[in-house]
Amino acid sequence: MTGTLLAIEKLEVVYKRSITAVQGITLAVEAGQIVALLGTNGAGKSTTLRAISGFLGLDDARVTEGTISFKGTRIENRPPHENTRRGIVLVPERDKVFPNLTVAENLVAPVPRGTSHAEHRRREALVYQFFPRLGELKTRIGGLLSGGERQMLALASAIVCRPELLLVDELSLGLAPVVVEDLLRRLIEIRRELGITILIVEQSATVALEIADYGYVMENGRIVLDGTAARLRSHPDIQEFYLGSKSGERRNYRDVKQYRRSRRWYG
Amino acid sequence: MQLIVNIIVLSAIYALLACGYVLIYRVSRVLNMAHGEIAMLGAYMLFTSASLFVGNPLTAIAVAVVMSLTIGVLVYVLLMRKMTGEMVLAAILTTIAIGILLRGLIVLIWSAAQQRPLEALGFSNPSIELIGGARISACAALMVIMTAVVYGGLFAFLRFGRWGVRMRAAGQNPLLAAQRGVNLNAIYALAWALSSLSGSIAGMLIALDSGLDQTMVVIGLKAFAPALVGGLDSLIGALLGSLIVAAAEVLAIHYIDPLLSDVVPFLVLIAMLIVRPWGLFGTREELDRV
Amino acid sequence: MSRAPRASGYFRTSYAQDLALVGTRLERTSLGVFILALLAFPFAASAFQLDLACQVFLACVGALSLMLLTGYAGQISLGHAGLMAAGAFTVGILFRETNAPFWITLPCAALVGALLGIIFGLPSLRLRGLYLAVSTLALHFVVIYLGGEYESRRGFSTGIVIDPPTLGGFAITDGRIWYFILLAAAATTLLLCVNLLRARSGRAWRAIRAHETVAEALGISIAGYKLLAFVISSAITAVAGALFAYYRGFVSVEAFSLFLTIQYLAMVIIGGMGSLLGALLGATFVTLFPYIIETGLLSLPGAQRYASLLFAVNYAGFGFVMILFLIFEPLGLVGIWHRIQSYFLLWPFKHRSASGSR
Repeated sequence: MTGTLLAIEKLEVVYKRSITAVQGITLAVEAGQIVALLGTNGAGKSTTLRAISGFLGLDDARVTEGTISFKGTRIENRPPHENTRRGIVLVPERDKVFPNLTVAENLVAPVPRGTSHAEHRRREALVYQFFPRLGELKTRIGGLLSGGERQMLALASAIVCRPELLLVDELSLGLAPVVVEDLLRRLIEIRRELGITILIVEQSATVALEIADYGYVMENGRIVLDGTAARLRSHPDIQEFYLGSKSGERRNYRDVKQYRRSRRWYG
Repeated sequence: MQLIVNIIVLSAIYALLACGYVLIYRVSRVLNMAHGEIAMLGAYMLFTSASLFVGNPLTAIAVAVVMSLTIGVLVYVLLMRKMTGEMVLAAILTTIAIGILLRGLIVLIWSAAQQRPLEALGFSNPSIELIGGARISACAALMVIMTAVVYGGLFAFLRFGRWGVRMRAAGQNPLLAAQRGVNLNAIYALAWALSSLSGSIAGMLIALDSGLDQTMVVIGLKAFAPALVGGLDSLIGALLGSLIVAAAEVLAIHYIDPLLSDVVPFLVLIAMLIVRPWGLFGTREELDRV
Repeated sequence: MSRAPRASGYFRTSYAQDLALVGTRLERTSLGVFILALLAFPFAASAFQLDLACQVFLACVGALSLMLLTGYAGQISLGHAGLMAAGAFTVGILFRETNAPFWITLPCAALVGALLGIIFGLPSLRLRGLYLAVSTLALHFVVIYLGGEYESRRGFSTGIVIDPPTLGGFAITDGRIWYFILLAAAATTLLLCVNLLRARSGRAWRAIRAHETVAEALGISIAGYKLLAFVISSAITAVAGALFAYYRGFVSVEAFSLFLTIQYLAMVIIGGMGSLLGALLGATFVTLFPYIIETGLLSLPGAQRYASLLFAVNYAGFGFVMILFLIFEPLGLVGIWHRIQSYFLLWPFKHRSASGSR
């Protein structure tokens, strides 16, 4: 699979008719890639994901300008289940599982594309292979799972939907590093075996750049930097503001005060 | 013996009305406070169609049934759909407002006088003698049968496993359900249509049995007590809850004080809320991880 | 909670300023003018308009107490009419049985309200949201049943008649005196609510409404503050019911139906949740609504025919307006007001950027 799967052009998203959260961003995701969307709180990353998957309406937000194209078709402001049918599936940041259903029921509930029972069963078996821990927890109530298990379940139920493009919002939030490592490895496996393209939104640049092929950095609703993962990892600004080290030397806090002036990407 | 018959008839009324509450709650966590008014509207539909199709009672009934399905879908599509994603309290208040609106409209269209759809249909309502000397009216007997039919149908539909789970999923986390391909609008509209249908059947039968006027809303309101007692998202619960509440009410009226009839369901409700708020078979909903 | 937007240049730079009721000079002058208008009104108004104003003030008291409970503390209560009935019946029963004067019955009504508040509030310790609302609804029916029992047992099947309150042998029946009494009642309630909300209790309630578990983790006594909200709100509501009894001179169970609760809920919603101003606006709107409908209807050609349908039109219209507000303007009249203010403040800009100031 090659070619551009997702193309966003000059996207603008406005909340409650008065707050512009995303101010004209342009990005592209090639098929088979893992692309990372980085940035601090409030940069507009989650909003972008929601715009792609069609979930703006519930927060009284709209795409007011620009386009989002998936495999050539325009999809902005379409209802969410339509996007899921197209193969765009979102793993949200909060409320990612059905809290009062068992793990097994959580995997039964999704309506995958091309719903045939046999296919659905096969997908379920598949995800139990990817996440054997879930197999042990089949009758556990969703709300009682630990953070890592819940994230696994969320990913699993997303995969049951047969996505072509998987959107992951804040994978590492609230999870121990060793759990995150484990999840990242599985994501790479999933990409390799199922050929799913992944767009991952992360505050933790370390985590994201570990598995991404390409990355975009957002700030205040704009994309300020983009490049291959290798380039981003070695970019001094990224290192200073996101990865926490200026080529390993010790820092004095007095120096940090100057960070606003020394950021190079507003020039 | 007559007491037992009365209990069964009353439980049938409550059960038919209660499953309407359960269907909508299960799918959207909304308590449809307009259910009584929708049931009443269904009954008025029957009255009108009976007056239109004089001499053709079966057509009249069929038309009324179709109309009641349409009412449910319309109420959802025009009004409740705008409330998806809003706070549940706001949605419940919207149903209250819809109830008020419907009540006003019904009086405007049909006047507040009592109507008798039974005569309009040309049927009669004889009293049937049962074993033990108890009596039951034909319409009441029909009510019991219809309750069994409706519940049977609902169980069969939901036992198709997946869609029952999906309805519950939509109720717990509609956003996630939509993200997983569940067409929320379709599921909600379906729930509202079925709820309106079952409520209207109840309303029609009550109207056939004892006349049609504004007091039906009271029965509708009382019926949500059995729904809660059994657990708001459980059909079996609604059945059992109706039995319990009906028994309590009939016995209280008979042995203590007839005026208690309107309060007893709520007393049972309070008792259940104290002991087991989520009802007999309801899903526990207290998970609240920060 | 919605804070009125302010133009730049008006910043709150101290706690005292943050707590102050009026800040800018514009706010001060407009408040002053408004108070003067209120005081002058009875001398220029007809008896009918005076009665309307009195009804509005009575509604304000009830709306404020409901706003306190539901809009701020987040405890949904569908038992409002039951509490008002309790207050009214306390007055009625005390008057009939013991001929007690108003300065005994009113405090008794408040006490009864407070006690009922504890009962209505106990479920809130275990239940939330829908279940809490349902429990309050059930309790409402119990209270109404008890009132009805009293009426039928003591032979007041059409209701209890109450003499107007007397002050030093002088019976208070003049509309203008009632106007000032009820205005004072509404103002006192407003001040009481404002102060409760500015103090620790207000902050605790807002925390509970926002996120209960977190509030508890912060050391706020959830049970204590929930019950406090119920008790205070119920006491005020009962007093409102008592005042209603004295104003009308008549107490009967039919006046306290579920529809009354719904009307008060509508006041809170149409006015705007989480705002005392909203309670006042909502109370005014809902009280005046039937009269607006009536004038509107009677001005149509062929008015006589519609007169009999007035009640139904009222009902339907009320439901319709409620739906409109719930669907299109969930923030209520206060929300509309703030949007107008925002529009003028932000002009010529249309949007604020997300990284800008509030």
